[in-house]
Amino acid sequence: MAISFTQPGLQASLEAADAATVDALPFGVIAMTPDGVVVSYNAAESALSGLTPARVVGRHFFSAVAPCTNNCIVAHRFENETTMDDAIDYVFTMRMQPTKVRLRLLKQTGQPHMFLIVQRR
Amino acid sequence: MTDIPPGDADAFEELLQFLYLTPVGIVKFAADGTVELMNPVASQLLQPLVPANNLENLFDLLAPLVPDLRQLVAEFTADTGAIMDQRHLETSAGASRRVLSLTVHRVNEKVYMAVLEDVTKLAEQERNLYRDQQRLRAIFDNVRDYCIYTMTPGGVVEEWNESLHRVGGWTAADVLGHQYAMFFSGSNPDLPQPDALLAEARRTGSIETEGWRLKRDGSRFWGDSVITVLPDEDGAARGFIVVMRDMTERKRMEERLVQLATVDPLTGAFNRRHGLARLGQEMDRRARSGHPLAVLSLDIDWFKRVNDSYGHDKGDVVLCELVRICKAELRTMDMLARWGGEEFLILLPETDEKAAFLVAERIRQAVAAARISAADMDSIAITISIGVAVATDADIDTLLRRADGALYAAKAAGKNQVISAP
Repeated sequence: MAISFTQPGLQASLEAADAATVDALPFGVIAMTPDGVVVSYNAAESALSGLTPARVVGRHFFSAVAPCTNNCIVAHRFENETTMDDAIDYVFTMRMQPTKVRLRLLKQTGQPHMFLIVQRR
Repeated sequence: MTDIPPGDADAFEELLQFLYLTPVGIVKFAADGTVELMNPVASQLLQPLVPANNLENLFDLLAPLVPDLRQLVAEFTADTGAIMDQRHLETSAGASRRVLSLTVHRVNEKVYMAVLEDVTKLAEQERNLYRDQQRLRAIFDNVRDYCIYTMTPGGVVEEWNESLHRVGGWTAADVLGHQYAMFFSGSNPDLPQPDALLAEARRTGSIETEGWRLKRDGSRFWGDSVITVLPDEDGAARGFIVVMRDMTERKRMEERLVQLATVDPLTGAFNRRHGLARLGQEMDRRARSGHPLAVLSLDIDWFKRVNDSYGHDKGDVVLCELVRICKAELRTMDMLARWGGEEFLILLPETDEKAAFLVAERIRQAVAAARISAADMDSIAITISIGVAVATDADIDTLLRRADGALYAAKAAGKNQVISAP
C-alpha cells in the first residue's frame, strides 16, 4: 500500500519503510533524532530545496539546514511538545523563492525519530 | 531559477546553502512590494507576523508594523540608496515580544532589498540601559542634601547635575572640565588633599572622607564624601563617582559637644578633665621625643577677699580676666586649664625650667599690672603665685605634687612670686 501525506499512522509507516521507498515518495520527508539532527533527507525534499543529503545529514535541521523553521511555529513545537501529529500551512524559501507548502509535524515520545513532512500546495 | 550547468551544480548548491544559513533575513522585492527572493531567516522572522502564511507582498506583510512602507518606497526619488535604516519594529506575534530591525534599500527602479534582523536582545539591553540611566538621573537630580558627580581618572569633573547646584550653588559652566580640587576649601591643611584621596580610592576601590568644602559663593561647608572607582569592562578605573553630603550642622554639633565636654563654661579655659588628658599626651610625647615639658601651678592670692569684698559675680569677672591675660602670654601649643576654684594649671610643651620660669614671671607681672574693672565696680588689682615644675621620668601625680609644692612655697614666701620646684 502506498504511503500518503494525509494517512493516519504516517510516522509508523515511515519508520517501517526502507530508504528506497521513502526516496520514491512524491513529498519531502525529513527524519530527525529527538534532538533535531537530520538522519535522512529524501529525494523529493532534496529536489525542492536544492540541497543534496550529503550537505544536510548530521546537521541540526532547525538551526543549520532550514532556519526558516526556527521559530515558534515549527521548531519550538518540536522542542516543547512531547507527542504531536499536526498539519499546518507554511512558506518555505526553496532556492530563495517563497514556496507555499503544507507541513505535517510528527513526534511521539519514545520513538527514535521525529519527522517533518513537506508537500507543495 | 534557471538550470545550472552540470559542472557548476556543486558550487550552486554551496551558494544556496550559504544563503540559507545567512543569519540575517534578506528579501529582494519589486517596486510594488512583490517578494521575488527571500532567505530562510527572513521567512522565519516574517512568518509569525502573518497567520495566512502569505509572503507574497512585503508591503502587505509589514503593513501592521510599517504602514507607510509602500508610500516611502514610492516617494523615494534617488536612483539608489537607503529608504530606511535599521528601524526598530516591535511585534508581539507568537508567545513573546520581539523587536525586528528593518533596513530597506533601493538598488534600482526594479530591484529593492530589505534586511531584517532580530534585535530583541539588543533592544532589551538598550531599554534596560535607558531605564538605568533614567533611574540614576532621577536620583542625581532629586536627592536632598547630597550631591553626586563623576570625574575622570585625573580628577576632572565630567558631569554636572541639579544636585551640585542645590548643595553648592554650582552651575555646569563652573565645574565641567575643572579639577575637583576646586571644591576643597584651603582650610584643610591637616586633612588628606585631593590627589592623595584619589590615589587612595584607586587603591582601595572606595573611600570616605570629611573636610571643609566650598560653595560657589565662597562660603564653606563641612562635606562628607564617598569617592568610588568607576571600573570599565576590564576593571581598570574609568573614573570616579563622588557622593557628598553637607554635614555642617552635624560638625557644628560635634564641635559644640566637644567644647561642652572639655571647656570650663565660666572662663573658657579647658576643664580639669581635659587638662589631665592633655597632660598625659604631653608626658608621652616628652618620653618619645626627649623634649622638656614644664607645668605651672597658678593660684590667685587673697581670692577669698575679692569674693568677700565685691561679691561672687565680681570674683567671676576676675577669673575670666585672669584667663584672658594668661592666654595673651601663651603660645597656641600651650594649654591653660582651670584646675578648680581660683587654681589653674598651665602646660608648656618643649619648654625647660629656665624658659618656664620666664613665662611664669611674665604672667605674674602682667597680672599684677592689670586693673580689672566691670560695671558698678571699682577697678581691682590682684596678684598671683606660681609654682614651676619640669617633668621628670616620674609619673603625672609626682609632677603635679612638685608644682603644687613650689606654689605653696611661693605663697609661704609672701605671695606674688614665682618659685621653681627642686
